[in-house]
Amino acid sequence: MIVPPYLKKGDTVGIVCPSGFLPAKKVTDCIHVLKSWGYQVRLGKTVGNQYHYFSGTDAERLADLQQMLDDPEINAVLFGRGGYGLSRIIDSISFRSFSRHPKWLIGFSDITVLHAHLYQRVGVASLHAPMAAAFAKPDLSSVITLKKALTGKKQSYTCLPHSFNRVGSVSGRIIGGNLSLIAHLVGSRSALQTKGAILFLEDIGEYIYNIDRMLIQLKRNGFFNQLGGLLIGGFSDCKDTEIPFGLTALEVIQHQIKEFDFPVCFNFPVSHDIHNVAIKHGMAYHLSVTNKKVLLKEI
Amino acid sequence: MATGFLSASSFTAAANSAKHNPRKWKIPPHLKPGDVIGITCPSGFALAEDVAPAIQYLQNWGLQVVVGKTVGKKDHTFGGTDQERAEDFQELINRNDLKAILCAHGGYGAVRIIDRLDFSPFKKYPKWVIGYSDITVFHSHLHAYVGVASLHAKMAEGFPSDPSIFEPVQLQALDTIRKALFGEPLQYAVPAHVRNRIGEAQGILIGGNLKMIETLAATKSDVDTRNKLFFVEDVGEALYSIDRMFCNLKRSGKLSKLKALIVGSFTNIRPDDPKEPFGKTIYDIVWEQVKEYDYPVCFDFSVGHQKNNVALKCGVPHRLEINNTQTVLTEIQHP
Repeated sequence: MIVPPYLKKGDTVGIVCPSGFLPAKKVTDCIHVLKSWGYQVRLGKTVGNQYHYFSGTDAERLADLQQMLDDPEINAVLFGRGGYGLSRIIDSISFRSFSRHPKWLIGFSDITVLHAHLYQRVGVASLHAPMAAAFAKPDLSSVITLKKALTGKKQSYTCLPHSFNRVGSVSGRIIGGNLSLIAHLVGSRSALQTKGAILFLEDIGEYIYNIDRMLIQLKRNGFFNQLGGLLIGGFSDCKDTEIPFGLTALEVIQHQIKEFDFPVCFNFPVSHDIHNVAIKHGMAYHLSVTNKKVLLKEI
Repeated sequence: MATGFLSASSFTAAANSAKHNPRKWKIPPHLKPGDVIGITCPSGFALAEDVAPAIQYLQNWGLQVVVGKTVGKKDHTFGGTDQERAEDFQELINRNDLKAILCAHGGYGAVRIIDRLDFSPFKKYPKWVIGYSDITVFHSHLHAYVGVASLHAKMAEGFPSDPSIFEPVQLQALDTIRKALFGEPLQYAVPAHVRNRIGEAQGILIGGNLKMIETLAATKSDVDTRNKLFFVEDVGEALYSIDRMFCNLKRSGKLSKLKALIVGSFTNIRPDDPKEPFGKTIYDIVWEQVKEYDYPVCFDFSVGHQKNNVALKCGVPHRLEINNTQTVLTEIQHP
């Protein structure tokens, strides 16, 4: 796994929108904060651009992202927002120049497609971390973890014990992201291979029965058979059917993984909510889950 | 139980399906008056009164009906616990006198029990499994793993207590189940759609609910669509989600080597956020994914969550003709 160079003061962060439309004013706070960290900021043409739902046509989004990947003066790329759209262009992106001159790509949600593809096909680490909108929130604690990650600081994250946790410890590469996207990638060449890995999952706005179905899909695909450990992040705004499914999202997850014995932690701070710490996707971490606490430590 | 397929790359997925994918699909014997058909709930629940009209119809067709224990059972949204639904389905699989299994209702739940079922009795006594929507799990599994043809059609809940409340098209759709089961040759014609890609093709028919097909990707129930007539339909999905599922079909290699693509209905599409309309129709979405290929494509075929949802024999050879006036799908009997 290639680790892109960490950022120095004066480096340039590019902002692009490879998926959904983002009004230009939504990046104002983000630009301000990045500048206060000592970086220069370059906006791609897709920021503020709109083509129906998307931030541009496939060709526009692809060209903007490709330009940021290939431009030697751009040292990291922060995505404006997720939504939907990377699946439409992922197979057209060239990583030829990028793999020789890698840089940190930063985002989550729909960006899960890119993280998985980088991990499986390109072999470059990336940052699962807050995007532009998070910089406008009053609580910047998760954004600060991104700041530290970009400068190369190794970070440890703790969270409170949860009654569904399964104790144990494991070291492995950390991979994951949005459950819907991870399930969607199964069967494609960007599908994650999970042997020995620490997997983290989060999602938003999903029906509980669909969470059950996606976990069964992963299970039938062999996703959990040789997994090292599992971090369950936020499952925000879950929806239920008219006749209730009868379990909460977390109960569904607990039920579907009970036949395995890897360590598991629930309520890890990775989510579409305010708690969404920066994780170096593809890099080695140590996970320790005890009855008293949970520790995820970058090795 | 999960059986440990090694990874999810398209290469191993292809290898898996090549290993398990049968070349020929055993076609269950057609039914005769006096034959036995079972009704069961492998997914969502159905009450006794929901299936009563179906029982009446099946008896009028001259069949004996066995009502499974899950009919009338209810475990939240399911027709019984996983254990109960699997046991009920297995009992029907195991009965040598039974010629067909009619699922009562779709919803969600088939994928929770499919790996508990032992289809080995199908080798000697194959039976028609009938249903759609969530029952796509069965069609795919029977196609990819067991090697037996099945019937994509309306379910027990879809029969009317009073035929006069149904439109002719609904009654005709229900009657295609009878025709299919009793071995009358099936042929369906639908009007041409302006976005169709005309042409002729011949191949094994397979398909079903798009969401379920995506959910089965890179599992042992994943269908190999090469050289097939492939049909898809869905209900209640947002356009972006349909687009994403078509990306999945393409990226998992399911669109590149088709004989033809048959697009059924996409009904009750979830409305977009008015501030961010998706901006593409279902026709645009499909066309973008298949424009680089040259096989025939037809839209608005009579399959889906709609009144006109005709019986389609999965795993059976068909001929498809798409011309400027109509699309005709014809079953090839005694291939």
